[in-house]
Amino acid sequence: MEYALFYTQGADPQPYDPALDDIAEWDADGIARGVLEYGERLRPEHDATTVRVRGGELLIADGPFSEAKEAIGGFDVIDVPSLDEAIEIASRHPVARFGEVEIRPFWRGEGGVVADGDRLVPDGFDAEPKPGRSRYLLLVVADPNGEDVDESPEAWVAETGANGERLFGNRLQAPDATTRVMLRGGELVVSDGPLTEAKEWIAGLDLLDTAGLADAVSIAARHPMARAGTIELRPLWPLDVHADHAERTRREAAESAQRTEPRLTTGPGASAPRAEVWR
Amino acid sequence: MRPARGGLALSRQASTPDASAPDAGADAGVDAALRAAFTEEWAHVVATLIRTTGDWDVAEEASAAAFERAARTWPRDGIPSRPGAWLTTTARHLALDRLRRRSVEVEKLREWRDVEEPGGPPDPADAVAADADAEWVDDRLRLIFTCAHPALAMDARVALTLRTVGGLATGEIARAFLVPEATMAQRLVRAKRRIRTAGIPYRVPPPEALPERLDSVLAVLYLVHNEGYLASSGERLMRVDLSTEAIRLTRLVAGLLPHETEAEALLALMLLQRARTAARAAPDGGLIPLELQDRSRWDRTDLTEGLAILTRLGSGPVGAYRLQAEIQGAHASAATASDTDWHRILACYDGLAARSDSPFIALNRAIAVGMADGPERGLAELAALEAGGGLGAYHLLPAAQADFHRRAGDATAARRCYRRAIGLAPTAVERRYLEGRLAALGA
Repeated sequence: MEYALFYTQGADPQPYDPALDDIAEWDADGIARGVLEYGERLRPEHDATTVRVRGGELLIADGPFSEAKEAIGGFDVIDVPSLDEAIEIASRHPVARFGEVEIRPFWRGEGGVVADGDRLVPDGFDAEPKPGRSRYLLLVVADPNGEDVDESPEAWVAETGANGERLFGNRLQAPDATTRVMLRGGELVVSDGPLTEAKEWIAGLDLLDTAGLADAVSIAARHPMARAGTIELRPLWPLDVHADHAERTRREAAESAQRTEPRLTTGPGASAPRAEVWR
Repeated sequence: MRPARGGLALSRQASTPDASAPDAGADAGVDAALRAAFTEEWAHVVATLIRTTGDWDVAEEASAAAFERAARTWPRDGIPSRPGAWLTTTARHLALDRLRRRSVEVEKLREWRDVEEPGGPPDPADAVAADADAEWVDDRLRLIFTCAHPALAMDARVALTLRTVGGLATGEIARAFLVPEATMAQRLVRAKRRIRTAGIPYRVPPPEALPERLDSVLAVLYLVHNEGYLASSGERLMRVDLSTEAIRLTRLVAGLLPHETEAEALLALMLLQRARTAARAAPDGGLIPLELQDRSRWDRTDLTEGLAILTRLGSGPVGAYRLQAEIQGAHASAATASDTDWHRILACYDGLAARSDSPFIALNRAIAVGMADGPERGLAELAALEAGGGLGAYHLLPAAQADFHRRAGDATAARRCYRRAIGLAPTAVERRYLEGRLAALGA
């Protein structure tokens, strides 16, 4: 089974310790065992962009879809026989010690985008973006306040896949299939369900490769879930597992003030006529 | 269709007058055989069916249908020599039939490990071949560990264990936990769906994970037992049944995992607590504390077995259930309340307190201090606990203070504490008991 691991601060965050929380060993082990398909760190949540289409208007906002603590700091896609192995892998990830790992199974087979037997991340997938391209994690967020849209994303998937903008992605199982894992005082704590019973929840993810945020927003706006829910775009922040962690933490703190992309305006000024959004 | 609990409903069906039914004596024999088969074999049959079909609902339905077929055909054809094998084979045929009829289950049929031809009566030789003992042990353990998986919510673990391992009907579990039947049915559906969608494996955890996962299994069983043991109102009989069910399942786990001494210790703990059932309540339903219980009314069979387990565990490893069982053992082996070895009990609470910072353990330890070293020492421990604030508005803290003030001869302070405890007590039975103690102190 394939699972998405989401790394979050959790309800009981512990201080990050560069010496304790080295990810290199975990990463090397996952690759050696052949279970780690793909994973990236994300730019902090203040670099997130949410995209909604309501009444034909494109609404763009800064920040993550939810202001709750569960803002996602990174993700991995793993392929393991069952939840027990996913828990074991999650429990050894450094974030389990100072934050929390959410385990979300992908939707397989009927109704899923990926057929049974295939891996989500395509073979020969190049993890390094080409010069001039930027990568975004596109989170599909279900939101009961969205418009009533029963359009399937299949056309969107086919189109964005054909022109190379969408590298892979899939639906996730509902939040009640979520398992949370953390380590506290050396003890493994496993609990069921999502971190918070928020009204919004992540229903799927896609990885985009685009010329920049404007393109990513336009792609996101064409996804049916931009009307039925919310799309969150998170720039990737590739992880150098060999970098010195203390140095990297300092550098990131300094960088966090900078924007990766020019800020987009929010509100009526950012709205686009329906024809433009839907072509 | 859901099977009703064991012998009861099945016996009703089996004893329904039938043209072809043999004489009444044989009928009673079939009745007993069906009752025994349900108690002994339900978990076997369901566990095997889940493994072969991979579908919890089909497994449950086919198992229930197999027991119904037994109730219909055993009175006519006689009791098979191996009822468990007969039931398993029959259930497998029924499940295969069912899956064949449902075209959407093509995938599952393909996964079916031992494809058999359906129809016709089960072949006993085939059944004997299918039930190698080791495999049956594994099947039941798989079921127990899956139902108690830590990625399920605790209430789902308890409900699923009672339903799937214990064979209790949804309505019975609902009544025992005082929730509407629809709520319990929904909880079971969700738990089974979660096992499927989250990918919870149907297996016994690997050796390195076993101790941790066994903790969850034992916690589920202890919770079931406590629900029966501590019940002070409502569906009383049903809840005593829950304790009996918990003991039966714990005996099963301890038997399947003979090297896990904590499972045996939990069994001893449950038996020693159950031994006091008849002495714990007055005819009017009032609560009788340990100190005032008529020890001749304690159940000798349970006491003997519980103490024998403790003796057998001897100097082996000591876990939290072992310590709690030792405490019960100290009470059980005291001829009168004043003979109780409170220093031995205090040593056990010291051990428990070292493992857990639970305020309830701290409270019980403080009481043991007072009983072992005098009420003043007990009051000092309780005062420290009260200052710590961990017990909030828990009524047994002022109740314990009241008791030590009474023993120390300070009736005024005792009355004050009893009144506070009465105000906090959650059940009428406990309030009545505390009011009785208050009245006994005079105005």
